[in-house]
Amino acid sequence: MNMQLVTGNHAAGHSMSLAAEANRNARGSVCGIYPITPQTEIVEFVARYPFSKGKVIPVESEHSAMGVCIGASLNGARSFTASSSNGLAYMTENIVVAAFYRLPIVMAAVNRTLGPPWNIWADQGDSLMFRDFAWIQLYCDTNQDVADTTLLAFRLAEDKRVMLPVMVCMDAFIVSHTSMEIELATQDQVDRFLPDCKVPHRIDPSHPVTVGGMTVPQDTLTHRIELDEAMRQVPAVLEEHRARFKEIFGREVSGALTVYRTEDADRIFIASGTISISLRDIVDEWREKGEKVGMIKVKQFRPFPCEQLVELCRGASRIGVLDRNYSAGTGGIFWQEVKSCMQGQGEQMIQGYLLGVGGGDVVPETIREVVDDLGNRNAVASPIWKGIEQ
Amino acid sequence: MIEIRIHGRGGQGGVTLAKLLAASEHREGKSVQAFGVYAAERSGAPVHAYLRLDEEPIHNPNQIYEPDHLIVLDPTLISPAILSGLKPGGWILMNCEKPPEHYAGQERTARFRIATVDATSIAVKHGLGSRTVPIVNTALAGAAAKLLGMNLQSVLEAFGDFGFHSGNEKAAAEAWEAVRIQRDEPQPGEFHRQEISKARGPSMLEDNEGAFPPIHTGQWANQQPVWENSTPPCNFICPAGNDVQGFLAALTEEDVDGALEILLRTSPLPSVCGRVCPGFCMSQCNRAELEGPVNVRGLERYAGDHGEVSVTVKDQRPEKVAVIGAGPAGLSGAWQLARLGYKVTIFEAGSELGGLMRTGIPTYRLPRKALDRDIERIMDLGVQVRFNSRIDHDGLDRLAHEYDAVLAATGLQRLTSIDLGLDLGTGMGRVMQGIEFLDLARDHSVDVAGEDIVVVGGGNTAVDAARSAFRLGANDVRIIYRRTREEMPAIAEEVDDAIDEGITIDFLCAPVRISTDNERRQLTCLRMELGEPDESGRRRPVAIPGSEFDLPCDRVVLAVGQAADLSLLPEGAQLSGQHPIEQEGEAPVYPAGDLLTNEGTVTAAIGCGRDMALLLHERFSGERLYTDPPAAETVVRADQIRMQHFVLHHRHEGNVLPFDQRQASFDEVRQGLEDVEEARRCLSCGVCNTCDRCVTYCPDGVLKRVGRDIVFDYDYCKGCGVCVSECSRAVIYMKAG
Ligand SMILES: Cc1cc2nc3c(=O)[nH]c(=O)nc-3n(C[C@H](O)[C@H](O)[C@H](O)COP(=O)(O)OP(=O)(O)OC[C@H]3O[C@@H](n4cnc5c(N)ncnc54)[C@H](O)[C@@H]3O)c2cc1C
Repeated sequence: MNMQLVTGNHAAGHSMSLAAEANRNARGSVCGIYPITPQTEIVEFVARYPFSKGKVIPVESEHSAMGVCIGASLNGARSFTASSSNGLAYMTENIVVAAFYRLPIVMAAVNRTLGPPWNIWADQGDSLMFRDFAWIQLYCDTNQDVADTTLLAFRLAEDKRVMLPVMVCMDAFIVSHTSMEIELATQDQVDRFLPDCKVPHRIDPSHPVTVGGMTVPQDTLTHRIELDEAMRQVPAVLEEHRARFKEIFGREVSGALTVYRTEDADRIFIASGTISISLRDIVDEWREKGEKVGMIKVKQFRPFPCEQLVELCRGASRIGVLDRNYSAGTGGIFWQEVKSCMQGQGEQMIQGYLLGVGGGDVVPETIREVVDDLGNRNAVASPIWKGIEQ
Repeated sequence: MIEIRIHGRGGQGGVTLAKLLAASEHREGKSVQAFGVYAAERSGAPVHAYLRLDEEPIHNPNQIYEPDHLIVLDPTLISPAILSGLKPGGWILMNCEKPPEHYAGQERTARFRIATVDATSIAVKHGLGSRTVPIVNTALAGAAAKLLGMNLQSVLEAFGDFGFHSGNEKAAAEAWEAVRIQRDEPQPGEFHRQEISKARGPSMLEDNEGAFPPIHTGQWANQQPVWENSTPPCNFICPAGNDVQGFLAALTEEDVDGALEILLRTSPLPSVCGRVCPGFCMSQCNRAELEGPVNVRGLERYAGDHGEVSVTVKDQRPEKVAVIGAGPAGLSGAWQLARLGYKVTIFEAGSELGGLMRTGIPTYRLPRKALDRDIERIMDLGVQVRFNSRIDHDGLDRLAHEYDAVLAATGLQRLTSIDLGLDLGTGMGRVMQGIEFLDLARDHSVDVAGEDIVVVGGGNTAVDAARSAFRLGANDVRIIYRRTREEMPAIAEEVDDAIDEGITIDFLCAPVRISTDNERRQLTCLRMELGEPDESGRRRPVAIPGSEFDLPCDRVVLAVGQAADLSLLPEGAQLSGQHPIEQEGEAPVYPAGDLLTNEGTVTAAIGCGRDMALLLHERFSGERLYTDPPAAETVVRADQIRMQHFVLHHRHEGNVLPFDQRQASFDEVRQGLEDVEEARRCLSCGVCNTCDRCVTYCPDGVLKRVGRDIVFDYDYCKGCGVCVSECSRAVIYMKAG
């Protein structure tokens, strides 16, 4: 086993670099880079990597970094970048373009609170603002998960049944800057896992085409339906590639949902990112007390795995959703998704909790309060803010 | 599981310390986790880092609130706050010089075990940072590893993963040995939990009044910018001591009168120098690195010719000063002394004012009008003059009795000659000295029309004589010079002009003898080659045997040098440095100008005249106005100027009289600048010109301009150095501290 002590950023950079190198016999790889805390180490890692075929292009803004990826991907190169927070906000226009062009770009998004006032700590509000933009979004919880999910992301994005960009998200600092031991992939493994990148609609001077010009409503309608069809393919395709991943790397990479002790649970908690790690320990504590508590970690936010969730939660009377993000005027964004999935599924109580919004450390004590609260409450309340006196 | 919290300051390597220890334990097969908590990621700001070590896989993603141990990188961080949550019995490893016993037993820390190591000294000793910014993490890694019972070898091996070698390894090994932990058991004590605050913060709408609590971020700085003017190379080199940068700065604001005022402080002859100075300043101008030196001479001329200044004179002083000689040195001295209130009388052998500026330098270079304008300004101060008063040895003696002081500026009165086998002056009217020729030429009192003329020499006298002869209608003019163009002392531009005017210069050629054949003369010459350098540093010309040849001509002009005539000075008087000649019971005699220095330029004569006048003033008044030249190290070099900040502009040359109008005319060749645009090309080397780039680019806004000064708010200056790199002209520099 190739166990190494690396940060989450380093894990992402390493996987991206191996994936890039794996395309050396095809059209090569391109990465447009622009720094922003806390993702800068990713692009630094990539920029130092000695690619045999490819280019890392430093630009003057995040908007251009994605522009580089779009151009390169349209030319058939494996393309990727990384950003964070207000950098992602600035990239927005091209984030839409990448997806609507159906380009299999992979982006590491290190979840950092949007400012102002400026705050560099973890909050998923930045990447979640793109939930309607036809990007596949995968939220990771550990350094190992980042390393493996990044590889999986390339495979998924470039699958011709999908052809959509993928965002690989991780919590700022808690993952990005924490050194943990993980098993790093080798080039040989990655070469076997990732076939050459093929962009079917890539531009080619010998067959001139126009992409992205003016269109008419009926065509756009067609494109939206195609996006829908592609998104619907994702769960099955992801499973297929997870299986292949296991064959090659000898370990599991977590899928859309990770389920823990939900079999007979009457209280199920749903979380994503690093909160789900802490939640797991708390579930064990309650199980030891004999209480029927379980949890589900959501990794795949887009497409949202509704049917699976509904199925898993069928037996539970109370569902608590823990969000490290906040959509003003409603509540946590995962909570909204869960609620809409559960629509018409019976009388379940679905309570939202807001934890660590703005980057505060989510300590076990806070999660215990949440678990107690869900058990004791009589009626659903609007989402409950944790970590602050009300 | 062992949990360790590390307290340090940004730049000391606290986060890396956590990672180093983690890497080492990882090598030993342990589960590890290391991370930092970042805020203002700035050098000097307090930083926390965390380290978890366990046999079991670690998955707690939280910060460490209840550490088993603490490591403190910077002793100034030790405060009750950092002890929060530390488990009783845990150790605190501190970087400090004192032994653990110094802290042990103190009430606050009695529950813990104190360990100390002087990581700062160890780090500095092994070349890791400086005393102000030591990089102590590797030394502390060694010390902590010892306390944790880790294997030193695997710590050192882990360094390899980070690319840390020798100095770091030695520091770690030394600290491993040096760390001391208190021997006494800590006292039992209660565990104080760390409270995690749930208080609401300030509201965006209501609580945003008042100032943000001051955080004196300047305390984090390990270097500070200093704003200080230094010496521009032009000012440094100018023999007249002019504030070249200063008058150019005035011209950039179109302040011609102001520019003249600045020039007149040091030199009364700007219209002259603006025409005939060799331009020492231009030879040193840093702008040469871009498109060429600033045309300072042209600008000085403009200020001299167009500026109007009303000169103020200090209160009349009782002392009378006699000035001998009305050349630039004498006039410069008279100007300074008259302005300081002395009663000045000039004794001049000739019947005109100006010395060689009038009798030597031809009017096509220095028109009378320009010379008169400068001289009038001096005489307007009430300076008296006695013409036709050649002062000899006895005369000087008399002056030294009648006056309180004498300034002797008689120039170089002995004309050097060479033996050409003929007695000069006896019947050889057409073999003459250059100085004499020029004096005659200026009044057209010599007829050379149609003649072939040979001028011997390589200085200004030779070139001026040749060009005057050309203007007086000579048929063919040739200069012969025994060395090469490079060694020619004449002003380079004048040599160029001479060549352009059709004058031939025969280099490496020396005259041997003259013979005469009716009206024609035969100048026999030898070819030379350059040998070893002589005492002047120039290569000595050596005759090539058998290379004799004849130059037929009508007239030979000798311009081979002048020397000082010291006969008027008291016997045995020594001319040395800036000291006056003192005679018992007589007034001091201050020698000045070429007589003293033999520098051979108007500019140097002005500077010397002024310096001697100011020293004279100091003697009588006790007031020191003389300033020592600035130290050579303070001169700004081109590589200190941020050339990339400047936009290229062509040098303004001014119009030149066309060649076809020069023959038979003594009209001025160079016609000067039409405006002062050229001044804007000055880089203002080493002198703040209030461009305010520093103010604009300071990322923390701690710089501001007060009047013409830049002031720093060092309370908030973090020493980032942006102002230094933005300063185009090396006025701001960094000082460690
Ligand atoms: C042809 C020529 C061209 C030159 N061109 C330049 C040039 O382009 N740029 C430049 O910078 N320099 C030039 N120089 C040099 C410059 O002119 C001299 O270095 C400068 O004039 C010296 O100044 P001074 O005051 O020491 O002496 P001078 O200018 O020689 O003045 C001395 C004065 O003292 C008077 N005097 C002498 N003896 C007595 C006495 N015993 N009693 C009373 N009065 C006396 C003289 O009549 C004269 O007026 C040139 C020199 C020559 C000869």
